[in-house]
Amino acid sequence: MITAGLDLGTQSVKAVVLKDGEVVARGKAFSGFDPAKAAEQALGEALKDAKLSMSDVGHVTATGSGMDMAPNSNSTVSMMGADAKAGVHLFPNARTIIDVGAEEARAVKCDDNGIMMDFVVNERCAAGAGAFIEAMARALEVKLEDMGPLSLKAERASSINASCVIFGESDVVSLIHRQESKPEIARAIFDAMADRVSSMVHRLGVNPDVVLLGGVAKDVGFIASLKRKLGVDVLIPDFPEYAGALGAALVAVKRVKKVSK
Amino acid sequence: MIMELIGEILKLTVLAGLTLAGILVILIWKKGLATKVTYLRFLVQVVSMVAVFYLFTYPVWQLIVLIVILVLPLFLGRFFCGWLCPFALYMDAITLIRKAVKVRYRILPDKLNKFLHNLRYVLFLVFLIIPFVLVLLDPPSSLDLATLLALLLSGPFEPLRILIGPIIPLIVSWEGPLAISGVYFSYPYVQEVILYSEVVFSEVFVNIIALVFVALTFVGSFFVRRVWCRFCPTGSSIAVVNRFKGFKWAPLLHIDKDEEKCTKCGICKRVCPVQVTEVYEQKGGKITTSMCTLCTRCVEMCPYEDCLKVKLGGKTVFKSRNWLEPSTTE
Amino acid sequence: MKNKSEEKKYMPEISQKEIDELRKAITATSQRVVAENIEKMKKADPNRPEAMQYFDEIADFATREKEIRAAKQEGKKVIGYMCLFAPTELILAADAIPVRVNSGWYDASKLGDRVVPVEVCPVVRSTIGAKMIALSPYLELSDALISVLTCDGMTKLGEILSDYTPVWAMSIPRVKDSAQSMRLWIEEIKSVKGQIEALTGNKIKSKQLKSAIELTQKATKAFRRLQDLRKGSPVIMGRDAMLVNQTYMWDNIERWTEKTEALCDELEKRVSQKNWACPPDTPRVMVTGTPMIWPDNWKVPTLVEEANPQGVLVADELCSGERLLYDPVGVDEWSMSDMLNAIAERYLMASTCPCFTSEDGNEDRINWLLNKIKEWNIQGVIYYVVRGCMLYAMEYTRVKKVLDRMSVPVYYLDTEYTREDVGQMKTRVEAFLEMLSARIDI
Repeated sequence: MITAGLDLGTQSVKAVVLKDGEVVARGKAFSGFDPAKAAEQALGEALKDAKLSMSDVGHVTATGSGMDMAPNSNSTVSMMGADAKAGVHLFPNARTIIDVGAEEARAVKCDDNGIMMDFVVNERCAAGAGAFIEAMARALEVKLEDMGPLSLKAERASSINASCVIFGESDVVSLIHRQESKPEIARAIFDAMADRVSSMVHRLGVNPDVVLLGGVAKDVGFIASLKRKLGVDVLIPDFPEYAGALGAALVAVKRVKKVSK
Repeated sequence: MIMELIGEILKLTVLAGLTLAGILVILIWKKGLATKVTYLRFLVQVVSMVAVFYLFTYPVWQLIVLIVILVLPLFLGRFFCGWLCPFALYMDAITLIRKAVKVRYRILPDKLNKFLHNLRYVLFLVFLIIPFVLVLLDPPSSLDLATLLALLLSGPFEPLRILIGPIIPLIVSWEGPLAISGVYFSYPYVQEVILYSEVVFSEVFVNIIALVFVALTFVGSFFVRRVWCRFCPTGSSIAVVNRFKGFKWAPLLHIDKDEEKCTKCGICKRVCPVQVTEVYEQKGGKITTSMCTLCTRCVEMCPYEDCLKVKLGGKTVFKSRNWLEPSTTE
Repeated sequence: MKNKSEEKKYMPEISQKEIDELRKAITATSQRVVAENIEKMKKADPNRPEAMQYFDEIADFATREKEIRAAKQEGKKVIGYMCLFAPTELILAADAIPVRVNSGWYDASKLGDRVVPVEVCPVVRSTIGAKMIALSPYLELSDALISVLTCDGMTKLGEILSDYTPVWAMSIPRVKDSAQSMRLWIEEIKSVKGQIEALTGNKIKSKQLKSAIELTQKATKAFRRLQDLRKGSPVIMGRDAMLVNQTYMWDNIERWTEKTEALCDELEKRVSQKNWACPPDTPRVMVTGTPMIWPDNWKVPTLVEEANPQGVLVADELCSGERLLYDPVGVDEWSMSDMLNAIAERYLMASTCPCFTSEDGNEDRINWLLNKIKEWNIQGVIYYVVRGCMLYAMEYTRVKKVLDRMSVPVYYLDTEYTREDVGQMKTRVEAFLEMLSARIDI
């Protein structure tokens, strides 16, 4: 049984090809102004890697904010639903799944079958998402991928007043003028973001095991801060940014069975 | 001769009324109990009064009634008060007159009402004790059970009869003074008032006292619905059982409330003739109250389907329904 | 009444030209939105009842506006109200026309921002904006407004509007079940009765009040009939029923009742033919929260019923919805004093607005919701709050706890008077409906 999942995010489209429950290929393309084309590209790459063609694929499910734009999908599923499925597939005891993307963070509570029971989304605030780190990295004049390791060097965090991405930038500049060290500022940035995310998760209730998905899950700085703020261990899969697409592909498996019936 | 004729006509009218009432009861029952419970209740009250009238012809009628009053409430709560008591019928009839002349009713402040409820028990005790006190003051020759019962129930004072004061129908068969062809026009408690005030006052005063009593109860029940029921000592004997924990299953006939359907709209509290607040205040399940006379006006007026029910031993006899036709009153 | 050239307490000075331009633009948008909504509703249900045609016509405000203008020419007075505590029966008994004037236009709320801060309830801001440019025909035609001071926004809104029309403020006690609260409210009712009589020149007599009460009782009966039909499989789309419900706020009540009964007749036929508006296993959703006023606020109901997977609205706890008509006036004796008591009690005691508190913490609303969930077989609840409504937002915690215990999913949907968040709302609503579908499948 071969299925594929597409995650049409705001920045990039991720594709995952699933064969008999195992991931056989992954693909990625930048969305730009044409997410439909990017979706085709990402899926095409992944299929080529797996030495398969479109006709081999039984069902394609799309998710993500651009899911309705996917040209080659058979069905769609919400991002929360995809997260729940992926989380439980990767970690069978996962019950609280946090997904922090570029512009939105969400948390999903699920049962042992990966069925969503409740969800919460960060409302209108980008300070709990990847965009925050990007903006702050720019302000600190540090490369995005260096932010994490940098923050781990700090023993304590400086205090950031701003609750808003926009004002955060000027806050960072004034901290530098006050001779605060970059590692401490970086740590404060991750702490602030983890704070936002954890208060959102608390609205749902922290039920172990807690899993972190999404692009930001690659960032060691954020992971460390989140673990501190939540007070529990956080499980992270390999390839966390493909989790949405993986979830969609898993949903596709169920849908094939339905259609064939 | 004419008087005798009138007497006979009266007796026949009573009989005819009884039959008619019976027919109408059956008719209304068949057509659907839920619409006009108040009419049904009025009819039952009339029938009951007629029945009491005939009961008066039996020598031990007081004992029968007393037993019925003390035993029945275990199963039917204050059903007697709402549906069978003749005094209640008078008060309801006076209420009808009030409505006809478009005068609004008055409500007693809740605190006063609650005080009156408790006053009942005091009055009951007083009425219970007075006869024994009187017997002690003027002891008879022998004090065996038969003499005592005879004294208490049918001697010249007939003191314990005061406990069933409300049950004196308006027309009593009577062969003594003021009788008209074997019937006598009476009024609840008036004979007791006369009897007891005769002990202290002279005849003129006694008659005045009796008239004042009648006037007060008339005026009282004109402005306040069912005014006597609120402190009627007869009612209290019925209510005592409700208060004890061991008797949670009693009475079998009670009002039941569905907590979730209730919107606390307050209609039940407002339409209650005796201003019972427990139906409104209690959250759900069986409504325990010592004051409710089971007139079921609240159930009739509750606008939410299945919210209030009248249950007899677990089975629903009558429940509130989505009325919403222009409500007709008593 | 104040001269328009005098300084207004709140409203800024705007040129007549700007007023006319804005009104033209927003009216055009409003007509477009009304047409769009109705188009979507027609498409959603291929066998949409014919009786809905009447409601579609009334939904476009112009029809009723003409009627009210004609009535005014004959000397009738129009009394607007902003909160459903206003006693419509008294208005009807005085031969005046009651009409609800809350504004449902998104664009008008931006105009309201010129007068009050953005944090203020958008319904209030929109009504202010509507007044500023004379957008709402009903608001303009009102000879007086009844403003019941239920929440902060309402309190000040009355003041702001009093520059243009006499506003009769009614104080409502926040604790509704104490003896002193009832006393205050009855006095307010009596006082407003006097004001209505003075305005209309008609004395409210028992006979007229009785007919007015019977009129609203009949309307409640028709409405309950409609609601009962929604208990089973979906025989009418939620948006259609909500429209029927809403039009009560400005339509002629007698005619509305007639048309609703006709609609119910048609729906009963559909039930016997098993002609459902959407598949019987569509997730059944209830909306509770701040009022959703036609036309722009059809945003969320449209999202729910056009989502993939589709949901259907079968009940609501909104003061622009079921709360308008669910509770009747229960009169014991048809004397003036009892009728006034009954009216006062129906408006004060039966209400489940979170502006009240009581010993058991507004348990009435909880019970109402629970009863609805059980009887209408609700599978999910959308707790709809417009940003700025402190009362509904605060009560969410309590409602969530109760519904969690019953395993009924509830989602807090927080939105504004704007079209810009439709995309975001769509993802959330669809995720919620997906969740409900999955639970049904299990």
